[in-house]
Amino acid sequence: MANNIMLYWGSGSPPCWRVQVVLEEKRLQGYQNKLLSFDKGEHKSPEVLAINPRGQVPTFKHGDIILNESIGICLYLEDLFKSEGVQLMPDDPREKAIILQRSLESNNIFQKIGDIACYNEMVPENERSEAGLQRLKDALSLELKLWEGYAAKMGTESYVAGKNFTMADAVIFPLVALVFRFGASQTKYPYLAAYYNLVKNRPSIQATWPPHWKENPNKGDMLKNV
Amino acid sequence: MASEMVLYWGSGSPPCWRVQVVLEEKKLQGYKSKLLSFEKGEHKSAEVLALNPRGQLPTFKDGTTVINESLGICLYLENKFKTKGTQLICDDPKECAAVYQKILESNNIMQRIGDIMQYSRRVPESERTEAGLQRLMEALSEELKFWEGYVQKMGAGSHIAVKNFTMADAVIFPIIAVLFRFGVSQGKYPNLAKYYNSVKSRPSIQATWPPHWKENPDAVMDMLKNV
Repeated sequence: MANNIMLYWGSGSPPCWRVQVVLEEKRLQGYQNKLLSFDKGEHKSPEVLAINPRGQVPTFKHGDIILNESIGICLYLEDLFKSEGVQLMPDDPREKAIILQRSLESNNIFQKIGDIACYNEMVPENERSEAGLQRLKDALSLELKLWEGYAAKMGTESYVAGKNFTMADAVIFPLVALVFRFGASQTKYPYLAAYYNLVKNRPSIQATWPPHWKENPNKGDMLKNV
Repeated sequence: MASEMVLYWGSGSPPCWRVQVVLEEKKLQGYKSKLLSFEKGEHKSAEVLALNPRGQLPTFKDGTTVINESLGICLYLENKFKTKGTQLICDDPKECAAVYQKILESNNIMQRIGDIMQYSRRVPESERTEAGLQRLMEALSEELKFWEGYVQKMGAGSHIAVKNFTMADAVIFPIIAVLFRFGVSQGKYPNLAKYYNSVKSRPSIQATWPPHWKENPDAVMDMLKNV
């Protein structure tokens, strides 16, 4: 069961973290795993490329089944281990709809963080500009405003999709945690902050907290003005 | 059932087209169809914004349930109507994983196309460069190499994730069709071309072919001719 699951992951990467949360929630903690260093380029090692030609994490194997898309892995695990641990996708179609909506919609946040974090990597020096980077930060601000609105509408004691922790939280909490880790202001986004503080102590979240964040609790400031 | 569904869509938009294909495959053709014009900005109308604050298409309702993420709509429909029409997600775990992999991985192609199509909207004129646009074209080329390889590996007679037509094809065929419509060379991507030519005749695909493409089948669209 769990011991023929192999997860290659990187610390602090939301797509990896969400898979780890789901594995915890489904009581599959015995999985094999390999923590890779982005700094050392280990995600581009032959071992990873042999399984994932994109050289990205998460890279995931279950026996001889390979899945390298984080939401795909979450859906797959929930399907296969539906009756194990916490039910992350309720049976009711209406509840399913909101979980699917928010989980897939969260890619908007991830893209916009990536555009900022990878700006120097993606844009040659002679094409970079303050204005260019600022535009990307403004785009993330607008995006976060939308999610702040969603959280406000749900209320402070609510998870993403309602009263219960679901797959949507496994998918989205790591993104919210990342945004605050990189310096976004909890006072500017009070409902997202309330959500963050509500969920952060959940056992599956604590068990999978990025190791290098534990070692270095200091927050960055890349997103402090977002 | 279908009559309680409303789909707001735009012609030629892959995220919309994939939902329409799934509705056909699940025998839910009776849905209310609202074709909107991107050019006229109808996707930003009050009617759409009331359901979708992003003002994007597809926007979809089933009774009072609203979903505005195309993959979300597809998964919702397959889940709710599992035994109706074509089964689009396989029961076998390995095949199921292959379908999930492809449907989510397809976002990479959509992103690269979007970067090119939206270039002049996202980047102010003073900051646009030939080199900048060329980089985006190259990124799409690199991306298509992966998919050309995937199709080649699957072999003749296969669909994109597994042997049979699945949700992966509903999701990905429209993207491939858009690429060729916008001038990508079938000669440069012979496996994708074979896939395109083999799947395009499927009834659900034919029934949902973008109307403005039918009106103007020979339009010379060459934005992506060098990709």
